Amino acid sequence: MRRQPAMPIRSPFESSIAKPGQGHVVLSLLPPNNPTLTTLTYKYPLKLVPRAPGFVPTPDPEVLSDECPSRPVHLYLLTYGGGLLPGDHIEVTIELEPRTRMVVTTPQGSTKIFKTDPSADSSFNVIKGHRNKLPANEHISDMSQQSLDVKIGRQAALCYLPDPSVPYKNSRYAQVQTFTVDASAKGDQRSSLCVLDWVTQGRTSRGENWNFRFWKGRNEVWATDAKSGKSRLLLRDSVILDDESEALDDSDSEEETGGPIESGLNSHSNRAETPPPQPGLLPLNEIIQERTRPHGVVGTLILSGPVFDKLGAFLLHQFTSQPRIGSRNWSSNSSTAPEPSLSTNGDGHVTWTAARVRAGFVLVKFGAKDFETAKHWLGGLLREEGSIIREFGEEALFCL
Amino acid sequence: MLDQPTQDLQLEISQLEARLHDLRSQLDVTALPTPPSSYADNKTQWSAPSDMYNNKFQSEDVRSSLHALLLLSDSALPLGSFAYSSGLESYLAHNKPLRTNPSASFHRFLKLSIASIASTSLPYVLAGYRHPETLDTLDNDLDASTPCIVAQRASVAQGRALIGVWERSFRGSFAAPTRNTDTGAQVSVTSIEEFADSLKATLGEDDEYDMGPKGHFAPLWGVVCRAMGLDLQQTAYIFILNHAKAVLSAAVRASVMGPYQAQNILASQSLQQTMMARIKREWNTQVEEAGQVVPALDLWVGRHELLYSRIFNS
Repeated sequence: MRRQPAMPIRSPFESSIAKPGQGHVVLSLLPPNNPTLTTLTYKYPLKLVPRAPGFVPTPDPEVLSDECPSRPVHLYLLTYGGGLLPGDHIEVTIELEPRTRMVVTTPQGSTKIFKTDPSADSSFNVIKGHRNKLPANEHISDMSQQSLDVKIGRQAALCYLPDPSVPYKNSRYAQVQTFTVDASAKGDQRSSLCVLDWVTQGRTSRGENWNFRFWKGRNEVWATDAKSGKSRLLLRDSVILDDESEALDDSDSEEETGGPIESGLNSHSNRAETPPPQPGLLPLNEIIQERTRPHGVVGTLILSGPVFDKLGAFLLHQFTSQPRIGSRNWSSNSSTAPEPSLSTNGDGHVTWTAARVRAGFVLVKFGAKDFETAKHWLGGLLREEGSIIREFGEEALFCL
Repeated sequence: MLDQPTQDLQLEISQLEARLHDLRSQLDVTALPTPPSSYADNKTQWSAPSDMYNNKFQSEDVRSSLHALLLLSDSALPLGSFAYSSGLESYLAHNKPLRTNPSASFHRFLKLSIASIASTSLPYVLAGYRHPETLDTLDNDLDASTPCIVAQRASVAQGRALIGVWERSFRGSFAAPTRNTDTGAQVSVTSIEEFADSLKATLGEDDEYDMGPKGHFAPLWGVVCRAMGLDLQQTAYIFILNHAKAVLSAAVRASVMGPYQAQNILASQSLQQTMMARIKREWNTQVEEAGQVVPALDLWVGRHELLYSRIFNS
């Protein structure tokens, strides 16, 4: 944002970033048509690896006919250990200058959100000695956080289809992704973005079923006018999965009327590992399961801008041409005839909805039985339509 | 007939109650909600009828705010809320196996629905009440945060209906500048008027990134309640209660249950507790932090359009 316009290419080893977990990337289009990372910095535990663009998009003759789209640059988003520990704070800012294109993926597979370990937590507090002084910040200090801030210039495009986030049992995580588009650009000049954000129930192999404490994912798109400096919120998608074990205050006990319910497996392992009851670590409840049922993964796909217009229209068409639900009045009990189950779109276990909301945005929300089902379904749709592969190459669908 | 000391005592109690109410309504907006007055007053003695007009209603503000409360909680308030099931119809269609136990299934839905409306919309109600001058921004931000057009249509239709009721019915009685001592109420009146004007001026015009006002229900509800002299607790409680009433009414018309059972649920202690717990949880939630806590509900509401036969608009 405050970068000098004619900055030389910086070494990635330059330690210009003070705080751990921060990263900054600027993608510029140098003449004649040469996409270049003019800034690339990051600090442990974050790692950003660019890949030389090997793919040349074949421009659609109907769209952007006056100018050849630039080659996309692929950025791998990595963290040491392939996930986030309690207290980790990843903060990535990306600037896509006009007419550039970027693909961002997570080559390590799902973003693991490691659990908040009660013993580590207490040792942390011994070192800091804050536990008694700042009880209100207790849950913030051990939360993993990730923020991604992408500015997408005029005619630039971002394709961000990462793996899902997999929150482990007892983990806490908050993620804020902010995308800023150029408000003065109109029509085909607009910025384009395709963003996927999805979260699973945890490690199913370990019997985890929405057993984390807290997961919050917020995606915002803002339109900023560089001249007036005014910003306007175009879209906000916010999902909060909270087991609500974090009591607001002491008089809050009536919320626990549901009673603690533990699966047999969990209670056994709990007893074996940590026999004394941990203060601040309440028994697992089923609040998040209840609110996501019957899904094992939920997610959102956000599409906007000329590059993804066709894909958006395709998905809307797919949605509206799903078979109608309930061919009869559902209040009559006689309808035993085989009805189309919830969304039989080749996949009987994906429930989804697509809507053109505003400012040309297409918002797809889905819930599926498990990660593989969702991946297969979404990857299938995106490949069938084909514009992502055409504009960004097969590698953009790396995680799908 | 009551003797003189008892009457004096009751007079004093009533005056203290009125003062308590005044203080409550002046309470700092960040304070936690207290239960609505019927909740708190259930231990106090009945006033003798002859005292009622002198004491209970001695404060014009209290009487007027009670009157407004009853108007806004009336199911005959012409907002068209009866046309929306807030996803119940789609939920039932998507969860057929659960129909073997429709009552348990409905209770689940009601609980999820209240949690969801509280987490997504209540912060906008509270913000509209606390900062009526920001109505424009709140309306834009809620529009940006509503992920499906079914919910968007429902919210906008009821919001515009609320503006209509305000303009045609309430404005005359509640907008008088001398009527209210709360300066926020005056700001609210101005805010509604300006918003309604800009809504009329920009109807149908939608530039790419420059959308006009929409008229979403939640922030308008907060502003209208402020203009009509309700306190913040009442505003939040009645918003959630009206939502519960709408869902229950839809359940009756969808033959999930009979009207007596619906009233039974509406009257129940457990519904009141659920509502209070959700209000308390969202009391200090900033609108930026508002979000969907029941992802499954977005899917049901969004897929309402796919139902073969529909009796509701959402």
